[in-house]
Amino acid sequence: MRIRENHKGYFFIFPAFLFLVGILGFPAIAAVLQSFNLIWVKNPSFSTASYHRLLSDVEFLATLGNTVIFVGLVVGFHLIIGLGVALLLNLEIRSRHFFRVIAILPWTVPDVIGGLIWRFMFDTLPGMINAMLLQFAIISDPIDWLGHPKLAFGCLIFAETWRGYPFAMLILLAGLQAIPKEQYEAAEIDGASKFKSFIYITLPNLKYMVIIAAVLDTIWESRLFGMIYSMTGGGPGYSSQVLSLLTYKHYFLFFNTSYAGAIAVVLAIFMFTISIPYLVMTMKRE
Amino acid sequence: MVVKKSLFWAFVYAALVFMLFFNLIPFFWMTSSSLKSDYEVIDYPPTILPEKVTFGAYTRMWSQEQFFRYFINSIIVSSSTAFLSSLVGVFAAYGFSRFFFWGRTSLMTIFLASQMIPGVLLVGPYFKLLSYVELYDTLTGLILSQTTITLPFSIWMLKGYVDTVSDEIDQAAMVDGASRLRICLSIVLPNILPGLVATIIFAFLLSWGDLLWALCLISDQTKQTMTLGITQLVGQFRVQWSEIMAATVIVTIVPATLYLLLQRYLIKGFTEGAVKQ
Repeated sequence: MRIRENHKGYFFIFPAFLFLVGILGFPAIAAVLQSFNLIWVKNPSFSTASYHRLLSDVEFLATLGNTVIFVGLVVGFHLIIGLGVALLLNLEIRSRHFFRVIAILPWTVPDVIGGLIWRFMFDTLPGMINAMLLQFAIISDPIDWLGHPKLAFGCLIFAETWRGYPFAMLILLAGLQAIPKEQYEAAEIDGASKFKSFIYITLPNLKYMVIIAAVLDTIWESRLFGMIYSMTGGGPGYSSQVLSLLTYKHYFLFFNTSYAGAIAVVLAIFMFTISIPYLVMTMKRE
Repeated sequence: MVVKKSLFWAFVYAALVFMLFFNLIPFFWMTSSSLKSDYEVIDYPPTILPEKVTFGAYTRMWSQEQFFRYFINSIIVSSSTAFLSSLVGVFAAYGFSRFFFWGRTSLMTIFLASQMIPGVLLVGPYFKLLSYVELYDTLTGLILSQTTITLPFSIWMLKGYVDTVSDEIDQAAMVDGASRLRICLSIVLPNILPGLVATIIFAFLLSWGDLLWALCLISDQTKQTMTLGITQLVGQFRVQWSEIMAATVIVTIVPATLYLLLQRYLIKGFTEGAVKQ
């Protein structure tokens, strides 16, 4: 009876399973097969040519480097700013509700839209950033923010920092609110300073939430596409290009389908590797 | 001590005000620019507030650029995606939460791990598959594809909520002769309503903000979504910033409003469901 009862679970899982196989499994396997030149070509034969090509493709290597730098910096900034704002909002402040709403607002903007807004903000002549910097005499001539390779990449990182940090903040705020008040009270009685309480109570209690925020954010930032497409298009040249954009270009603009598959597989491996601790941790909690 | 304390609070409020400006300036610039005339918006040096407020950009955008069509398409695609992934997600969440069948853990791991598959890996082959079944360039194809992004986390979020409803209620209802399906729909579902709403909204927002899938799977002008329509508006040589900013205001208002109305549920959803401790 018990076993039969448990088998009912399959019926509930079935629709989701169908979706998983149909719209995730098939395309994912097809992409891998494609990268080895096994399907959707004139003469299918196993070949690792696409992967060999990756190693000698200067644009790919630069883009891979960009992706690591972009994800690393953006996630780092998100955690730092997110923690800072979460600590502020966790205090007994006035109009807490108001500040909390404002704090989360950037995250409600779709990334492609965020890219467009910041593209206009950074525009050389009619843009607001240059206007403000000139107004306060910080610079004497307008800067071509998005026309300069290093600056454009920096602006992109800045824009995504703005848009995405509330997500990390929300998770960390939830973590802060879950820390038992008694721990702080006990520390205060023992004469510990606020700073010491932060180091020895807040941070250790927050560890799990920081890892969750870091991994989830890394996943989101690695697959980010819309903002880069709309803000810099990966340019100038390929100075602000990341792997998701390069894959798109090879598949839909240059029609190098097997090469695009290989790039996407590299991105997927990158993301899987980073998320292993998260997967292990989450499944252990089950 | 008192001085130290008031210095501390002065610093806190200064930091909060700084955060306020940092967060809101892009919203301000977007709104201000959308209310400027076509000429004023590209003036150098730029005006901070419009000299003469005009809604010209909004009316032009609605009338010339088919934005009403795009808006409706976005609504259709996002609501269908949210509905579909939540419906399928509720059943799966219930299944994972209540039954301990063979392969349960591996299946759950696969569902969790499927979030790590990047969209660009799937979109190419998906484009080919949709062409085979003649769903390329249709909203149905787009809805199905967006479900790839939303389903895995929908299941995961919803399972967190279903877990909070005790199985004893199920057992009691079964004694009364209710079927599992009935229990799931008429007992568990009402109990997780806030969580369900949060999941639906989050799926809606993800789908609403998507560009990649629409860009790769839609070519017909009349089937474009808002986000795709706006990026197409950014021309190669001349950029109509006032119109684009008007469009971004519209496309941002929807998720911002939804979020503001339902933020309590959403925050609860994140902290109890997806990242329960």
